[in-house]
Amino acid sequence: MRFDLDMPAWKWPFYVARHPFEGFDDLRWKKAYSMKVAWVIVIAFFIISVAKAQLTGFLFNETYVKVFNVVPYFSSSVILFLTWVVGNWSLCTLFDGEGTMKRIFCVSAYALVPYLITQVICIAASNVLLRTESGFMFFFQYLGLAWSVVLMISAMKTVHQYSLPKTLAAIVFTVVAMAIILFLAVLLLTLFQQVFVFGYAIYTELLYRFSI
Amino acid sequence: MRFMKKLTAFICTAAVAASALVVNASADEPYIGYNYDWWGDPIPSQNGFVVEDVITGADMGAGTLSEPNDLFLHNDSGKFYIVDTKNNRIVVTDSEFKNAKVISELTYSEAFSENDSKIKKTTFNSPMGVYVRTDKDDHTLIYVADSANERVVAFNEDLEIEMEYVRPSSDVYDSQVTFNPNKVVVDSAFNVYVVVPSITQGAVQFSADGTFNGYYGANRVNATAEVIAQQFWKLIYTREQIIAMRRNVSIEISNVDIDEEGFIYTVTESRTSDTDVIKKLNPAGTNIFTNLGYDEYTYGDFASGRYYKGKSYNNAICDVDIDQDGNIYLLDFATGRVFQYTNECDLLFIFGGLGTQKGTFTSVSAVESYNGKVYVLDSRKNSVTVFKQTEFGGIVQNAIYLFNEGLYDEAKGPWEEVLRRDANYWLAYIGLGNAYLNQGDYSTALDYFYRNSRAGYNRAFKSYRIEFIRANFTWMMTVIIVLILALIIWSYVKKSLAKKKAKKGGTDK
Repeated sequence: MRFDLDMPAWKWPFYVARHPFEGFDDLRWKKAYSMKVAWVIVIAFFIISVAKAQLTGFLFNETYVKVFNVVPYFSSSVILFLTWVVGNWSLCTLFDGEGTMKRIFCVSAYALVPYLITQVICIAASNVLLRTESGFMFFFQYLGLAWSVVLMISAMKTVHQYSLPKTLAAIVFTVVAMAIILFLAVLLLTLFQQVFVFGYAIYTELLYRFSI
Repeated sequence: MRFMKKLTAFICTAAVAASALVVNASADEPYIGYNYDWWGDPIPSQNGFVVEDVITGADMGAGTLSEPNDLFLHNDSGKFYIVDTKNNRIVVTDSEFKNAKVISELTYSEAFSENDSKIKKTTFNSPMGVYVRTDKDDHTLIYVADSANERVVAFNEDLEIEMEYVRPSSDVYDSQVTFNPNKVVVDSAFNVYVVVPSITQGAVQFSADGTFNGYYGANRVNATAEVIAQQFWKLIYTREQIIAMRRNVSIEISNVDIDEEGFIYTVTESRTSDTDVIKKLNPAGTNIFTNLGYDEYTYGDFASGRYYKGKSYNNAICDVDIDQDGNIYLLDFATGRVFQYTNECDLLFIFGGLGTQKGTFTSVSAVESYNGKVYVLDSRKNSVTVFKQTEFGGIVQNAIYLFNEGLYDEAKGPWEEVLRRDANYWLAYIGLGNAYLNQGDYSTALDYFYRNSRAGYNRAFKSYRIEFIRANFTWMMTVIIVLILALIIWSYVKKSLAKKKAKKGGTDK
């Protein structure tokens, strides 16, 4: 029996999580891409990665909390996700992918949902479990991760209308593209910083020159 | 009235002068006491040991020492044995470093007369290590690692050689390798363990009669990237190529000690490797420190520890000593520091350092300890520095003693006193946590263990959780059952409503 597909936008991520193989086809068919929901998921990704560092129970927490900086968590969640979207789009537009940037963004975010749910469960469980019972927690963690990976493959396959081998190859090359993007970004940042320092040095030099 | 004013002024002056004196007296150590917190960051702490005295060879009445390399305290007689390497002699003093007696010439006893009929006397040549053991019949044997003579001699108090342990002729001992004994220990069965710098397979073990028993307590090979890469190439290479490859061997052990229960401790002096730097070996030669699951046990200065004058140092642990309470003392050649640990390798105190003042060293060579005193031998200053325990150190030691005896409640007082004096002393929190855990006050125990001990927290949390569930089981179960019932009823109602709706829709058609 098919479900009634006329459902509110926020139900779609859970629907695709429950139907890893047909869910994205239905999503495509109904054109139910919602940027709002996708953004909520990405921001939740960031909040959960911070919560994981701060709220995990003492027995499992490895975070150095004497100095806590939120920037690394932001870049390893939101920035990483955006890089994935941009990298995937730049690659797949060249290789006959049908996905637009908006669609890639939405389906990628939807695919994260099982991972995020299990992360929340693990954070809660780490506060009530002993060290010897950590197996339950890690089982859930890996289960969520594996589920999200399956969903991500399915999402990429549908959004670009690829065959399975082509999807896998696209994902591998997307990771390479992400590495290149991040490398270039760091390079650009460093260069601009040097340009800024150079400009600032000239500015101070002039300041001294004219003040005397 | 004027007299009163004068008197007040006098008292004030006296008080200021006295306080100045006190300040001077408490700040005369040339090193800063510190400890490591849960995160591995160095934090200032009170000194557990301060300098009592520095004793040179002349003070002992034995003339100047020259590059002394080993110091041994014989607990049964209270005598000190100092190996005066460059002077080729052993200096024996009493427990106050007085009445020195010099051993430089030995005679062969009756047992040797038929072998060495011509040579009756022998001298040392660069002795490096000494060990003394008394058996049940009060027969004392002194073992000296006579390095350049390639032997370990065992002689009695009449200076008669009873046994010589020489280079083994066995096939197991590589004929290319030299035999220059550096350090020696003897276990209660009079097996002799000899540390030879050129042997990487561990200590050379002899039985009492001089037969070679094999090697004992080898280090593992440090798993560097090179070693792992070689493992990979070995899969591809031919036999000849493998033979031509650079061989990776473990680093030789540099010093040994034996505790009263017969466990042998080895240390490895290497600035590049951190594999097996300190080991506690059982008679089978297995390292207990790793097998007990001390995955968090540490030694020496941490890699991130940039405390001493803003510099970071690599450890070079050159000597180990175990006192009668089981405390472990490690001597770091690189920083001239002594690290005191409990029998489970929890850091207690760090003292000493590099320098020329009293209490600092230029080239440390040996550490010994007995009854709250620590003796450090410096081979370039040619002196022995005596450290005595401070009041704070005494309180900590007393607390540890009670703690190890299982008297957790009695240890509570000393631990609280420790925290009053030094709120950063993390071992005190663990001690108090254990005390409260023992009393059944689990939530207080959890507070004390938090960010101090994972193992303790785990134990306390286990009991705390059971207690919590027992206390709250009734209402928790009630809520769960009510929720389940509510869900069932709700889904039933929903279904019947949907049916009704469908029926209605059907009739409308």
